[in-house]
Amino acid sequence: MSTLKTTLTGYTGYRGREGHYAFLLHRITGLGTVLFLVIHIIDIALVYLSPKGFLDVIALYQTTLFGIGEIALVFCVFFHGINGLRIAYFDMLKPANWSIETERKSTRITLIATLILWLPATFFMARNILIHNYGLFGG
Amino acid sequence: MTATSEQIRRVKVRPNYDHIAWKWMRYSAVLLIPLVWFHLILQDVIVGVHAMDLDYVAQRWANIGWRVYDALLLGFAMAHGMNGVRQVANDFIKGERARTIMSWALFIFWLAITAIGAAALIGGVRQDFPLN
Repeated sequence: MSTLKTTLTGYTGYRGREGHYAFLLHRITGLGTVLFLVIHIIDIALVYLSPKGFLDVIALYQTTLFGIGEIALVFCVFFHGINGLRIAYFDMLKPANWSIETERKSTRITLIATLILWLPATFFMARNILIHNYGLFGG
Repeated sequence: MTATSEQIRRVKVRPNYDHIAWKWMRYSAVLLIPLVWFHLILQDVIVGVHAMDLDYVAQRWANIGWRVYDALLLGFAMAHGMNGVRQVANDFIKGERARTIMSWALFIFWLAITAIGAAALIGGVRQDFPLN
């Protein structure tokens, strides 16, 4: 129990600004993605195990609540991917870049790149929800 | 010891399991970006969840290329994800014994979920009931 407290205090108490936030976001987005990945493997497996169950799950995914979750998932995947690429590039090719200055700058670039990918995707997914669930835009 | 040597000593360390896992996370990540992003943009943004049904999956899996694509996703994404969970859990679990148990539990979980996914990929859509 004390380990849990020590680790969580370390996660939140450390004040490393951008690099710290990138670390926390990488963990949160990674855990969020893997949680959905497990659910997604099982729901797709239903096409073989229980086709009727698959249709029920899809109906659930089409609700507005899950639509918002889907938009969040897309953010998680884009951020985790770009930040992961940054980590891989630094670790494998440019270890000298692990300095506070580069960390801060590269984290900001990572966030901007994530938003550039995520915002247009969000527009189309939100539009889909409004068309199919609320009959807007000629749905 | 008064003099200091400027010579850099290079040591070759034989990679252990965690070293290999550390590299694996980075290599698989580079592969997962095109695989997962394309999957996500196609299925969630372009096609959309409102167009999903059994016919869609059946038609998609009629093409062996998509089954291979999904098999790659299943294999790489799940292994990358489970190793990630192991790394996060290592932050919270400190005991040697507890870590071993956690690693094995995650390995069995990974094997089970991957097997379920693989069964569906091989079996395909079972439309043995009247649709609609």
